[in-house]
Amino acid sequence: MVGQRKWSPFGILNGLVLIAVAVATLYPILYITAVSLSDTASVTQGKVFLWPKGFNLSAYAQVLTDNKIPRAYLNTIYYTSLGTFLNLLFTAIAAYPLSQPQFFGRKWWMLAIVVTMFLQPGIIPNFLIVQKLGLLDTVWALVLPNAIWTFELIILKSFYESMSKAIREAALIDGASEYRILFNIVIPLAKPALASIGLFYFVGHWNSFFIPMIYLNDQTMHPLQVVLRGMLIFSEGNTASLVDAAALAPQALKNATIVLSMIPVLMIYPFAQKYFAKGVTLGSEKG
Amino acid sequence: MRNTNAEAVRQIRQPDARTFRARMSATAKHLARDKQLFVLFIPCLIFYAMFRYGPLYGLIIAFKDYNVFTGILDSPWVGFKHFERFFASPDFFVLFRNTLLLGLLTMICAFPFPILLAVMLNEVRLSWFKRTIQTASYLPTFLSVVIISSMIIDFLSPNNGLINRVIQAFGFQAKYFLIDPDWFRPIYVMSEIWSTTGYEAIIYLAAISGISPTLYEAAKVDGASRMRMIRHITLPGLLPTMLIILILKTGSVIRVGYEKVLLLYNSMTYEVADVFSTYVYRKGLLESNYSFGAAVGMFEAVVAMTLLLAANYASKRLGGNGIW
Repeated sequence: MVGQRKWSPFGILNGLVLIAVAVATLYPILYITAVSLSDTASVTQGKVFLWPKGFNLSAYAQVLTDNKIPRAYLNTIYYTSLGTFLNLLFTAIAAYPLSQPQFFGRKWWMLAIVVTMFLQPGIIPNFLIVQKLGLLDTVWALVLPNAIWTFELIILKSFYESMSKAIREAALIDGASEYRILFNIVIPLAKPALASIGLFYFVGHWNSFFIPMIYLNDQTMHPLQVVLRGMLIFSEGNTASLVDAAALAPQALKNATIVLSMIPVLMIYPFAQKYFAKGVTLGSEKG
Repeated sequence: MRNTNAEAVRQIRQPDARTFRARMSATAKHLARDKQLFVLFIPCLIFYAMFRYGPLYGLIIAFKDYNVFTGILDSPWVGFKHFERFFASPDFFVLFRNTLLLGLLTMICAFPFPILLAVMLNEVRLSWFKRTIQTASYLPTFLSVVIISSMIIDFLSPNNGLINRVIQAFGFQAKYFLIDPDWFRPIYVMSEIWSTTGYEAIIYLAAISGISPTLYEAAKVDGASRMRMIRHITLPGLLPTMLIILILKTGSVIRVGYEKVLLLYNSMTYEVADVFSTYVYRKGLLESNYSFGAAVGMFEAVVAMTLLLAANYASKRLGGNGIW
């Protein structure tokens, strides 16, 4: 809207409200960070509002020497990298035949796939399949049952469809197989779309807690979110083993763990904005 | 449609006797090419058969007395026993009410916020300011339910939670929010608004950018104020998107964010917080009543499906677009 004044009363009010929204969104995160950096007394007396009071890193030291959290962190990294990689591989391959108009039975395959978005049988049947396949207490229970997210598959399929047909035709004339076309041409060209859906997969794995909670009985295999949940729900029982006799406010310890678990996600997310917004809007158009 | 047309055109062009053989060899060629595509499709096929259709097949245990040792196939059929037990139990009404209320409240209360945010962001002229605010606004999308629940618990803590400190500063008694059944739903809904508004605003912003700028220019020539342009151009332009989002959400009303419920509820708030999925988790999974849990889950899925179809139908009747 050209020629509009930048500083109209409307614009200023609008800006102020938006700042308030941003503050309301960010404040809880700043607050828990401040708590994690404060000393016990300030936390229990409720002196912390925005900045750390009695700045110290003892909560972080506790976290790092804890017998559960560092291992859980490594578990999360392992599950997330393996999971995201397999997700991308499965989705990138599956979307290709579905994007080819001449692929045999394409319409029916698509229908059969889309239908599964609406027919979700619930927790128990999924659990029984994983149990039957002997995947319980293995990393595969977290990775395989969700190897393809239908929504992301549709996004990638429509991205493939939007790619130029000319390159494919040229490769076909040169006698390239479909495998070569997919791996040497299509996938490299689809990097932006793969980055976008990869982001969703990454965040999904990093933050997942219900699936590892029901599929992993072995405590040493628990990822960070499950351990965090333990600190949340069983605060009393758990902190006794974590901290020696309330030397530290359990809140600080818990929040230090939260901050550490947020770091990777917060680091990638400002850079991911471009891909993220693209993924959301692509999805909403095709959904 | 387009395919059949192309085929018809091809047939008209080759009306002679060679058509059949020509088409056969074309099909053979296609199949050879298709073979490679099909090989690429196999992992996808196996995945969907095993992990998406497999559980659907596994649902038959809702009509059986499933026993881990006899397996899905050999367990005895019991008809609607588990459904009858569920419908007859006092839990049924409570769960139904809780799930529906929590889902509907969230859907209705959270609905206007992303639209509002998108419209307000759209009015910002400074692009760096807009980008900064938007980036901040969808940060919660990246936080796990566990983290969000933990923040809620911290903020509402009766000992040193921020909210209670403010309440006490005004001279009131500290409140035990999370064990108060009256507070569960507001807390849940407000936290949902906090964590989903920024994400959904992205969708609306994209829809706004699809509105033709000529509409705004024409309105400006006619001397319309910014408020009027929002009311008569932006909001009507967003209507189709709003409808689609509403339909999609109706389908998930029944599937309220049970993970968050699971993290926030306790025995004091079961009566308002317990929903189908948490019930399935507790009764079905933790207590190993697989058949009963599957029956409850199946009922939940059927209700969700019905709501989605109804919303889609209603939207089409009202002249909007359905999702199919």
